[in-house]
Amino acid sequence: MSRAVSVAVTGAGCLCAAGPDLDSCLAALFSGQRAPASPRLFTTGHPVPYPVFEVEEDFFPATCPPDSGLLRTARLAIAGAGQALADAGWEAEALDGMRVGVAVGTTVGSAMNNEDFYREFRSGNRPGMAAIQRFLASNPAAAVARRFRLNGPLQTVVNACSSGSDAVAVGAQWLRQGRCDLVIAGGADELCRTTYNGFVSLMITSPEAVRPFDRDRRGLNLGEGAGFLVLESAALEQRRPRRARARLVGCGAACDAHHLTAPHPRGEGLKRALREALQPLKDDWRGIAFVNAHGTGTPDNDRVEGMVLGELLPKVPFHSTKGCTGHTLGAAGGIEAAFTVACLGLGRIPASVGCDHPDPQLPVAPVTRVTEVAGRYALSQSLAFGGNNTVLLFEKGDRP
Amino acid sequence: MKASIQGLGVVGAFGCGVAALKESLLQGPHSPGELIFTAEGEERRMAAYRADPAPLERFVSKRETRRVDHFSKLALLGACLALEDAGALEGPRDDLGLIIASGYGATRTTFGFLDSVIADGDPCASPTLFSNSVHNAAAAHVAIQLRITGPTLTVSQFEMSVASALGSALAWLAEGRVRRVLFGAVDEICPVLGYCHRRFFGASPGPIAPFDLERHSAVPGEGAAFLLLDSGGSSRYGLIAGVELRRIRAGQQLPGHTAFILNVDGHPPCSGHYSRLLPTGAGVAAFTPHYGSFPTGQALDLAVAALALRDGRLPPGICGEALPNGWQPATLDGGGVTCVTCDGDGYFGAIRLTASSENVKPDATGIKGMENGCQK
Repeated sequence: MSRAVSVAVTGAGCLCAAGPDLDSCLAALFSGQRAPASPRLFTTGHPVPYPVFEVEEDFFPATCPPDSGLLRTARLAIAGAGQALADAGWEAEALDGMRVGVAVGTTVGSAMNNEDFYREFRSGNRPGMAAIQRFLASNPAAAVARRFRLNGPLQTVVNACSSGSDAVAVGAQWLRQGRCDLVIAGGADELCRTTYNGFVSLMITSPEAVRPFDRDRRGLNLGEGAGFLVLESAALEQRRPRRARARLVGCGAACDAHHLTAPHPRGEGLKRALREALQPLKDDWRGIAFVNAHGTGTPDNDRVEGMVLGELLPKVPFHSTKGCTGHTLGAAGGIEAAFTVACLGLGRIPASVGCDHPDPQLPVAPVTRVTEVAGRYALSQSLAFGGNNTVLLFEKGDRP
Repeated sequence: MKASIQGLGVVGAFGCGVAALKESLLQGPHSPGELIFTAEGEERRMAAYRADPAPLERFVSKRETRRVDHFSKLALLGACLALEDAGALEGPRDDLGLIIASGYGATRTTFGFLDSVIADGDPCASPTLFSNSVHNAAAAHVAIQLRITGPTLTVSQFEMSVASALGSALAWLAEGRVRRVLFGAVDEICPVLGYCHRRFFGASPGPIAPFDLERHSAVPGEGAAFLLLDSGGSSRYGLIAGVELRRIRAGQQLPGHTAFILNVDGHPPCSGHYSRLLPTGAGVAAFTPHYGSFPTGQALDLAVAALALRDGRLPPGICGEALPNGWQPATLDGGGVTCVTCDGDGYFGAIRLTASSENVKPDATGIKGMENGCQK
């Protein structure tokens, strides 16, 4: 078993504020459309409204209605996973008898933080158990497996903002070990009052539309959504040739071991994760077409990420897509993996929406217009609370 | 795919450390403590197995943990104990990865954060409580205090958390991603969980009657168990030879040639699945009355199995008056132990341990082999 063995990515799916599916999200990214707005899913008592990127209710498929007894995160996960399976050409029935694993990254989807329930409990009332039953039914990996009647291993990764990327890495590992024939891997997360209040309390949310890597950036905008990949074993790939949108050829992860919420000032963990992900290329990094940066728009994240990219990959174009999606937390790694795979296939990347005046303090600047890219490889990187850093390396696939 | 267990760190109602767990196993479980909370306008008291992280002061100063919550302290204590037990408290940790499993995460802090919002308003939400409520906060604290700069992973899969996360630990070792993995599991009890337990299952004064499969006797608990794993040939506590996690198929049974440690904990909705999964006559034991019922309790079962393999005999399990399904009290005659947990959704997590690599049978060296060994 070797980490050098690549894994085929045969499907990708995504829904977020930018659109209800991957194609419409890409259209929004390339046209620079975005519409952050005050939260509509919940009310807040903050004197300043911090804009968010909400998913429209009609973006959900009819098979995931609001009254399905599931948390919004699980509904997003099911919708995203369903899109990825369809993109890979799989009907749910065809998966019967196959070993199909599900790895999902999330933050809110595993948090037992129903505020209405707790207000009642705290007030000495007798809250009903519907909210708790919904929480227990909504573990994202279990909910996806239940919906598509899957029989393989499950893992819900709760590595904060790198969860989606870590879940993709877990899925690839299952295939390399021979544990699965196929894995649905990605991330899903919903907007909720608790996370909104939490991020505002940390003073890293922006009162205006997010500006990743911009001189005047003031913080992140929260978002929600789901992004998934279908990963397939070599044996399955042989049965269905020329289906690979891309190949996952490298994964790297490392911890800063520095601070609970701030990145290491010299980006030590990110550098280690990047080098690990790039090992399959040995020292020849010339084939890297672009980097999908984490690019949250917080002063710290963008400074550290810019510094590390300037040091290790100074000539490689990079961009942040969070200007169009917001920061979708546990979903971000999955959504951006889907974007990376799609952009690698297209051979171009969108502008970093919101970056009007690249920060002159940074050694590198993101692309600020749609950019044609050359090269077989692309990176998607995630940084997270707790000092997690995860980097995925994709290679162009053979899908016509 | 296998891993050698080089160190154990445990904390639970039985106390702190391997010696305390062993004493509890030999002397019999303590009576549960109490969880006191207010609900429906009245003070409620319920039996609960509580864990005390106070011994953490031996490893980390109070000053350094002043903003670390109970949940992360349990994890940090378990992690320090495991490294100490392995003689690895000092030295470089560049080659070490960290994986933590939790069913519910830091629930006290999660609700503490909501307290700050509800009591003082949205603009006064506590940033400290929020950042500590994030599921991977425990892993972050462990990494920061112990200077672990390798990959870290936190997994939350309710009752399947341990099997799911341990599978990743074995994979990291097998792929050479790291040379060692500090693997742990942690869960805590809080008033809201106590209320939910009572609403879902009714009150249970304890003790847990693990093999009375149709009677609710669950008593909630909390604790942490950490294992220092490597892929070396020699092991202080035996080898983890395989992990399996998936839905129980009709007619599927686990092979019966090892001893089974079952995480049966007085929850009838889960208990019935053990009857489906284990063959008649299987050798079984349960130790949940030593630490209570919580989603990652299987990690403490794993610690018991590791101790048993080191000592060459299983401690006396809590069997009650009679074992169901023709099951027999487990012995180590078969050469290995399989720790099994089932959830209410019909999934099972099975972890197979053997005393040494010589005991790893061809059909039990990994997940695939384990699947092939299932009796249908």
